[in-house]
Amino acid sequence: MAMTDEHAVPEDDLDGHTMEELADYLDRGRTPYEPSIERSAACRLALDGMRRLSQLSASSLQQQADRDPGRDEGWISGLLDIIKSEIRSGRDVPISHPDGALRLALTEAAVRGLIRRAGDTMPGALVGRCALEGDVAVPGAPVRVVVSCSLTFGEPLAAMADRLRQRIAAALAEHTELTIEAIDVHVDDVLPPTEGDA
Amino acid sequence: MTDDVDPLLEAADATLASRAMDGDVQAFERLARRHGPLMRVYAAKLMGSESESDDVVQDAFLTGWRKLGDLDSPAHVRSWLMRIVSNKAIDRLRVRRDHDDIDDWDPPASAVRSPERIVETRLQLDAMWSALDRLPGDQRRCWLLRETGDYSYQEIADALDLPVSTVRGLLVRARRTLLQEMEAWR
Repeated sequence: MAMTDEHAVPEDDLDGHTMEELADYLDRGRTPYEPSIERSAACRLALDGMRRLSQLSASSLQQQADRDPGRDEGWISGLLDIIKSEIRSGRDVPISHPDGALRLALTEAAVRGLIRRAGDTMPGALVGRCALEGDVAVPGAPVRVVVSCSLTFGEPLAAMADRLRQRIAAALAEHTELTIEAIDVHVDDVLPPTEGDA
Repeated sequence: MTDDVDPLLEAADATLASRAMDGDVQAFERLARRHGPLMRVYAAKLMGSESESDDVVQDAFLTGWRKLGDLDSPAHVRSWLMRIVSNKAIDRLRVRRDHDDIDDWDPPASAVRSPERIVETRLQLDAMWSALDRLPGDQRRCWLLRETGDYSYQEIADALDLPVSTVRGLLVRARRTLLQEMEAWR
């Protein structure tokens, strides 16, 4: 067998196809259908072998990752420390105080946290995006809250969305002085019920 | 009331990424815990260095957090982060290559060479793990970038400063070697 350069690879006997062609074909999701490959037992065997190899490769890395659950604690807690130290708190959301000389404010980030919590503590709901539209820094200015959420399928979605809206409204009324013009709830995902949920 | 299960534990990646984009650190932490360990293992294998992998994956997640605004689709956050990890690991490989000629990593020889016919998943995966270690460094890097990093041939060529034809050849060799090594486990 003539070796031309160090990376030359001898051809396999795959009914006229090379391993490389087969790998490309596999990468394309075996489309468009290639009869000369699919009708060749040698090719199909090679395709199976390659697919199995990919799965084994992925699983062996995953197994290694799962081996020691505490292994990643160090870099993750370091990461969180850095992130928390540079957190963007957003705009100030003023709160009045009987003593007019005192200026109090919540951060926008805190208000968003409040909204997420109002949703997360409602069984079957999980808040995704959350935006405050309008001039939250000006007392009395109309503010629109826009949230996306995923809901667990169970009761009618419109009723759940309503309840979520009410909970958010209640939380904002209790903790802020924002003038809420509207709360838009977009449901982007409906999840199957998990075990044990009523 | 349900018990105190973290509602984020089962949340979809898209939800977690959306919240992280709004500054929810806990949601981002959940993403790091869910996907970080595999990415750390991948980086270690790619660089041939366990000690640097923590730094690389931490740095990658930090970059991810700071650039969440660039993420087009929250549902793709995993592959987006994986891409950042790959880039960081490749940068380190480049630096190392520029500073010394010892390019390759000699993994400890593995004792598992001709396994008994015990069809046991864990052992099989261990065998795959050490088969990857026994690949020559350039083949292993190509394989990991292709399979785990989801790089195209061209992207691998750019990352490793090799001609695309060489990358193709290395991948064929890697695949063939791995198929042979894993033959015993069929």
